[in-house]
Amino acid sequence: MKELTKALAVFSMVGGAMFGTQALAEPFKIGVCYDLSKAYTFATPQVAQAAQDLAKLVNMKGGIGGEPVEVIVRDHGNEPQRGIECYSKLSREGVFVFDTLSTPVSLAVLPRAREDGRILMQSLVGRGDAVDGTVFDWVYPIGPTYWGQAANDVAYIKQLHDGDLSDVKVGFVYFDYPFGQEPIEILETLSEKEGFELELYPVPLPGSDQAGVWSKVRRDKPDHVIVWMLGGAHVVASKEMQRNRIPMEKYISVNWLNEVDIANIGTDAAKGIKRGTNVVGGQDVALFKEIMTELYDNGQGSGPIEKTQDVFYNTGLAMYSIMFEAARNAVELEGLPITPTSYKAGLESLKGYDANGLMAPITVTAEDHGGGGQTRIEMWDGEAWVPQTEWISEYGDVVWDVVKESSAKYEQ
Amino acid sequence: MFYRLSGVHHANYVSDSRIFKVPADRNLAVFIFLIGLAAPFIIPSLYLNSYMLPWLIWTAAALGLNLVTGWAGQLHLGYAAVMAVGAYSAIHAARFGVPWEFALIIGGLTSSVIGSLFAFAALRVKGLYLALTTLAMQFVMDWVLTHSPAISGGSHASLQSPTLAFLGQDITSDTGFYYVAFGWCVLVTIFMLNLKRTGLGRALVAVREKDFAAAILGVNSFYYKILAFATSSFIAGVSGALLVATFFFLAAPEQFSVTVSIQVLAMVIVGGLGSVIGSYFGVALILLVPGLVNGLVVTVSEGLGMQINVETLAHIPNAVYGALIVIILLIEPLGLGKLYGNIRDYLMVWPFDQFKK
Repeated sequence: MKELTKALAVFSMVGGAMFGTQALAEPFKIGVCYDLSKAYTFATPQVAQAAQDLAKLVNMKGGIGGEPVEVIVRDHGNEPQRGIECYSKLSREGVFVFDTLSTPVSLAVLPRAREDGRILMQSLVGRGDAVDGTVFDWVYPIGPTYWGQAANDVAYIKQLHDGDLSDVKVGFVYFDYPFGQEPIEILETLSEKEGFELELYPVPLPGSDQAGVWSKVRRDKPDHVIVWMLGGAHVVASKEMQRNRIPMEKYISVNWLNEVDIANIGTDAAKGIKRGTNVVGGQDVALFKEIMTELYDNGQGSGPIEKTQDVFYNTGLAMYSIMFEAARNAVELEGLPITPTSYKAGLESLKGYDANGLMAPITVTAEDHGGGGQTRIEMWDGEAWVPQTEWISEYGDVVWDVVKESSAKYEQ
Repeated sequence: MFYRLSGVHHANYVSDSRIFKVPADRNLAVFIFLIGLAAPFIIPSLYLNSYMLPWLIWTAAALGLNLVTGWAGQLHLGYAAVMAVGAYSAIHAARFGVPWEFALIIGGLTSSVIGSLFAFAALRVKGLYLALTTLAMQFVMDWVLTHSPAISGGSHASLQSPTLAFLGQDITSDTGFYYVAFGWCVLVTIFMLNLKRTGLGRALVAVREKDFAAAILGVNSFYYKILAFATSSFIAGVSGALLVATFFFLAAPEQFSVTVSIQVLAMVIVGGLGSVIGSYFGVALILLVPGLVNGLVVTVSEGLGMQINVETLAHIPNAVYGALIVIILLIEPLGLGKLYGNIRDYLMVWPFDQFKK
């Protein structure tokens, strides 16, 4: 009898332990299928580190609705086939929020995500027209599209010239493939509308030879040069600009320009260089400081601290703050557990959210999945990034015309 | 013992020209075919959908490249471009309302025509020069795709593929896609197995070994080179179209970039030039092993509770995978197909391997 009670006690303990583990909440997971080994490595390590750090911070504060959060980072090497593999594998494990940070992979995963009803976050990559929520129901490119960014750059130039662009010449230097070609249509439309002269300067990939381009720029003398290039190409461009005595102030880069590029150009030589951005650069950000004191000061960071001194780290913090905030909204709206539909509702109830001053405020609606597309122009003063404008989002009608035209083509 | 014969000895021409000269080989092929047929019922959908399906389609494509590189001996570095031609023309045809059966054939034929243009280069130059010429063709194709929205489909150059349908039946399930890929791969495999024992196959081999020696023997190398390019391009075109229709669901230039061309060539070389079974192994190694090793490394590091930086974690599989290719080619320069052949030949007469094989 004694033995039996003993056995029963053990049994109930085991049962209790099992029940206990079951009662432990299932974490809210985000599938981070990134290219950590090939083409996007100029940004992915920083963004992935930010995602992991932020998840740790959220968990330290008690998770979301009492449930822990988890980011699952996997490498897809920028190969669509492996991206799909990562997506299929994780979505069978119950993940329904994905981010790929790679245009080819995002394109490849998109039809499946729409078919399966999974959320595809694609800030800063993938098709720009996916901001049209009426067509791309499950896709959320929160942040500016390249179209919106280019339009905001023009709005900034207009501010500089007191609202009159009629005798202004703008050059557009771009990688001659879809990433760089995308803003051309917007720039041409705006050039007609505002009356500025537009000169196009295609740069062949990988952008290591730009001698011809910049001597042409010197001859044409544009007042500003909007630049759609990445990584090392910025360094090559700055060298060529120095050689041709073109002042750095003319250079307005797409958001893909970071501290590593500045260091490679030389912090002094880069003085005056400008970039469009949707996040606040630098370390003077509330969320950033919190991560430093809570994690890195205690040796809990998810990677080397040098990687955090980079605007792409801030970009990562912005992207994942949005994803976690949407999860909080989802719990608030429809309670636990978070489902794809409730998460979608959570995303679409983001209003003026700026992650405590980390980024341009975003407002996501069922129609606009981009969150408003605000950016600002910042200038490197030799030590830090100095904002040149407020958060702006201009020429919305022109941008949305292009978006609608393009998304209509997808529906066909 | 395993093959129940003591070597292969032909007593007449009929036995010499059989596809499978050893009954055990035929039985193995039938067995694998049956497993392939039953796969949707025995393999979990994740593996069916993200491993088996791309593996079969890429195998069909690699077999096509093997025809021109392994059999006819013409180095080809623009194979992905030819696949792109097929994919884009088939999808445009399907979007235009042409039934998929014909759209695929249109894709194949367009590829054939464009691919044969490569052959004209092959008539003038050989070896490394041909490799560079075909590479140039690849770059031309990349340029055309990224600069003509009418072909590539506008925003970020992606073109959605309409729902695949055969004989008026829409195909939307994983199982359906798998059978389409399986059917195409089986078709190409049967063609390639038969190629060995036809005059065409022998002519191609003659051209590969020495084209002017072949000419002296009365083999028109001009004709056979063009034929090899046209046939392999047809296979490439249909494979490319099926890849998009059953796996990617939309076509984008990155799916057919120069890196993909090099990957297909690597599949053929690691698998074994001129080897059908080798193509299967080669594709598995180049296409699937990176993902599998990645998963393995992640599982092991999690199992051991190691806190490895995500970036390091992503690079370990690449190192393992690279080492694997080098080791395989060191052990057997003729590729995985030959490695399999060695094992088969050993077992053929085992345990009496002191006798003549």
